[in-house]
Amino acid sequence: MKTRFLLLTAMVFSVTIGFAQEAATPEPYKPSKTQFMIRGYAHAGFEYKKVGDEVETTYVGSSFAPIFLFKHGDRLLFEAELTFSFEENQVEIDFEYANLSYVLNDYMIIRGGKFLLPFGTFIERLHPAWVNKFTSMPLGFGHDGIAPASGVGIELRGALPIGSAKLLYNIYSTNGPRLNNGLDEQEEAGLLHFNNIEDNNNNKAFGGRLGLLPFSNSALEIGASYYGGTVGDRNDSIYQDVRARLYAFDFSFVRQISALGGIIDIKGQYNISNVDDATYFELEEGDTIASAYSFENKSNAYFAQLAYRPTMASNDVIKNFELVGRYSVIATPEGALWEQQGTQWTVGLNYWLSWRTVFKLNYQHTLSEGGHDLPPGTEITTNGLFVHWAMGF
Amino acid sequence: MKNIKTIFVFALPLAVGLFLAGSCVSAKVAMKTGAQLWGENCIRCHNTPSPTAYNNTDWETIGLHMRVRANLTTEETKKVIEFLQSAN
Repeated sequence: MKTRFLLLTAMVFSVTIGFAQEAATPEPYKPSKTQFMIRGYAHAGFEYKKVGDEVETTYVGSSFAPIFLFKHGDRLLFEAELTFSFEENQVEIDFEYANLSYVLNDYMIIRGGKFLLPFGTFIERLHPAWVNKFTSMPLGFGHDGIAPASGVGIELRGALPIGSAKLLYNIYSTNGPRLNNGLDEQEEAGLLHFNNIEDNNNNKAFGGRLGLLPFSNSALEIGASYYGGTVGDRNDSIYQDVRARLYAFDFSFVRQISALGGIIDIKGQYNISNVDDATYFELEEGDTIASAYSFENKSNAYFAQLAYRPTMASNDVIKNFELVGRYSVIATPEGALWEQQGTQWTVGLNYWLSWRTVFKLNYQHTLSEGGHDLPPGTEITTNGLFVHWAMGF
Repeated sequence: MKNIKTIFVFALPLAVGLFLAGSCVSAKVAMKTGAQLWGENCIRCHNTPSPTAYNNTDWETIGLHMRVRANLTTEETKKVIEFLQSAN
């Protein structure tokens, strides 16, 4: 009888403990369908520049670029980026992009809004400070470059496997660039403005990029891009039919090569801008009648860069160093008031504190002639030493 | 014209060299592991990320973001995310 009582008590106790344990076991973590993240990058540093005979030194304030990501399910993504920086002692905020992407199928994505244009690869993939291996952008690239950075429109993009190779594609339509007719800013007559949020005519610009990765290890990529459309303002009888045709050719090779003991990274991009010729007007100081002039509105800018990082070195410090070098060139139209010819060499040594944090030491030599602020024929040499740190987060 | 000649002189040997270097390895995506795809695709633009940098949920979001930005296919993205989640 006593044994039965003990057994019964033990059973009740164990069942009670079992229930208690079950109740105490936390539910396995289930992420919600909607996810929100803030990522981005920042950089700061010190710059020494000798422009002609004049020396300039300055600390550069931290530029901060938060990227907002909102994901709903496996197919819908919203991304937006703002850039905060200091310009002439004031905070400048740039609205880089904000767009919605939807995965249509395994090989195709549609997106709309303001997005970085896949015109070549530099702006879309390489411009963030922690990705760019240099402290500056190549000549002719960036916000004041001859190639577009972003646009407002719609895009289809994706990748198609072809055997062991892969084809990347982007097709898009945007409001397009706007031609500066020079009436308000005569020194910029004939220049294209790419940060054109509202359409200045009813003609949409079209563009696209095809990138081929011929080898399955994705080491090599060769791409060609086109972007074109009417750029003159509607109802502007002189310039409304002026069209622009822009081309870019890009190249990338990244691979760890045992014989070299590390990763070799070679990249390049060639941009060509062809705008229809037109007649512009210049009113010189003291004149009452503007004089007409024209020029062949063709520009080009390109860069080639090489980086080597001895990732296979046995020493943990040495494997974090990276040697970098870049050559870039810009040539804008002869005869334009914004005519500029420039060449630039940059060499540097980077040290990677982590996969996304880097210290960069760059020496840069730039030889330029003309430009926005200088009369044609004025040649200026700029030598600079730049120390930057950049971090992605 | 001079620029084009210079580019041609440097680009041709470079292209041949890279063709030979790049063609050493050839396999279809279906045969690759997530680790391989992580090593090959991320580095096209930036250093390969440490799997421990983010948690499993964050990798899903970052994976979709990179899928859009780097023109990855569903299969590639899925394999890379699974690898990062298993290694963090």
